[in-house]
Amino acid sequence: MDTFPKINSSEYSDLTNVIKWFILLRWVAACGVCITLIVIQTVFGYVLPYALLYTLNGILLLVNTGYAFYFFRLKNRNLLRREIQFFLHIQICSDYIILFLLLYFSGFLSNPFSYFFVFHIMLTSYIFASAVTYRYIFILTALFLLVTAGEYFSFLPHYALSAPDSGAYRELIPQRVIGLTSTLVISAYLTTTIKARLEEKGRKTEIELNKYKDLDNIKSNFILQVTHELRGPIAALKGYHEMILKGITGKISGHTSRTLLKADHRTANLLNIIDEMIDYAYMQSGSRLKNKTSALNAADSITYNLEMYEHMAQEKQINIRTTCPRDLYIKGSRDLLNIIIGNLLTNAIKYSPERSTIILNGEKMEHMAHILVKDQGMGMKADELDSIFEEFYRTRAAREIEKDGTGLGLPIVKRAVQSLDGKISVYSEEGRGSSFHVYLPLATKPQKE
Amino acid sequence: MAGETILIIDDDKDIIETMTALLEYEKYRIHSAETVEQGMEMIEEVKPDVILLDIMFPEKKTKGFDAAKDIKSRYPKLPLIVFTAINREYAFDFTKEDIKADAFLNKPVAIDKLKKLISKLTS
Repeated sequence: MDTFPKINSSEYSDLTNVIKWFILLRWVAACGVCITLIVIQTVFGYVLPYALLYTLNGILLLVNTGYAFYFFRLKNRNLLRREIQFFLHIQICSDYIILFLLLYFSGFLSNPFSYFFVFHIMLTSYIFASAVTYRYIFILTALFLLVTAGEYFSFLPHYALSAPDSGAYRELIPQRVIGLTSTLVISAYLTTTIKARLEEKGRKTEIELNKYKDLDNIKSNFILQVTHELRGPIAALKGYHEMILKGITGKISGHTSRTLLKADHRTANLLNIIDEMIDYAYMQSGSRLKNKTSALNAADSITYNLEMYEHMAQEKQINIRTTCPRDLYIKGSRDLLNIIIGNLLTNAIKYSPERSTIILNGEKMEHMAHILVKDQGMGMKADELDSIFEEFYRTRAAREIEKDGTGLGLPIVKRAVQSLDGKISVYSEEGRGSSFHVYLPLATKPQKE
Repeated sequence: MAGETILIIDDDKDIIETMTALLEYEKYRIHSAETVEQGMEMIEEVKPDVILLDIMFPEKKTKGFDAAKDIKSRYPKLPLIVFTAINREYAFDFTKEDIKADAFLNKPVAIDKLKKLISKLTS
């Protein structure tokens, strides 16, 4: 059993990608070295210890094969935190050593590829903290100075790129060593600074993102609290109305009963308004809407809403006819589906005459689920139809039938439909009724059912 | 067929009062508790046929959710109805399926609907 946690954070998954990238770069580098050696040997004819150089390149290939085997096969790309650090250090060290030796045996400071260390520095500072990068720079510069001094004072042999340049090489050593080491230090400084700035930016973005997430939480808690604080007392209020109306508290007169029924009706309306306001606030937030989508059974949703509002229909002796296949599944969130069906159904009941019929159907239509809510109500005028999905708009007839109303029901429905990637259309004829057609994406039947 | 014993667990005294009156009117025997702890103790004592449990309690907004799990693990066969004033799942971090209850109702509860549900759950 591993005692260290597996690496999951983005930072470490990024480092895992870096390892993959390093291994790939090393293959490219080994190919590059091989081609360069062939070219300078055959085209330029330089006298160099080629056997040694090819061997070094072979070591590079061998080492990289080892890294690839360890990373992809042994560890299956899943390293522990401390293993990643250690593995990266090993790789960086081997790269520095092999490049250093390749350069030493091929002209050292006179080799133009000595500036390739800049790339190593850039990669080092990309992975490690700046202190670590500067430690690498310090050791590298010290090594350069040491070997250069060795060559200058003839303690170490110089492997010249071409035979006649040995005198000129010695003269140019100070300039070259200054040029190279300053390039390395400056590149280290620049890359670590740029990296620090980018990290700072990243941190700020993360803070912003967290703030946003906190706000989202506050908002959802607020909605929860408001819903509870407003709906709770109304639930109790309706309970008391029912107690009085049923005569539990004592016998009441017909007049009291009728008055209380009116009060109860307004209370129910108030509840409806609160729901619409809260749904509207929720739909405005938008960010969390798609989080909880699943395969919902359309027939279940229709039944749920039917049970929820059938008392409203019974009061007006309205007959609600529904058909829906049992195997119709909609991709969406239950809240949004209830918002859609609930609003359309209650509208149909509210604006239908007594003893009329409402049709509430669900069916599969091509690649969509089609939900139809059709009433025999008062219908709408053509010019009113254009505005019904606008916020706070209420038709004149709607205002006459029901004084309380937010004019938010249909805009909420439209937003809910859009959130589920669906479409809504309406056909209406004044005096004959309206039909709302909602098309929602189908889902496959969930396995557990 | 009424007459079942129902245990109502809800912190809202008014909900307890109205639900008790309305359900007693329908000939049910009602016991009630204002805290989850008190309710848990009463289960053994009154041996209810059905429990009606609220979700939001003052000390924790999802206390009833935890209590539902607790009740269902201790008394898997005891019918449990969860009821709450919150009518949208988005306000919670969980869905109805996460709550191991036999039914989920919104307040205000329609008594006829509750009666049907109780007789279905106890038959």
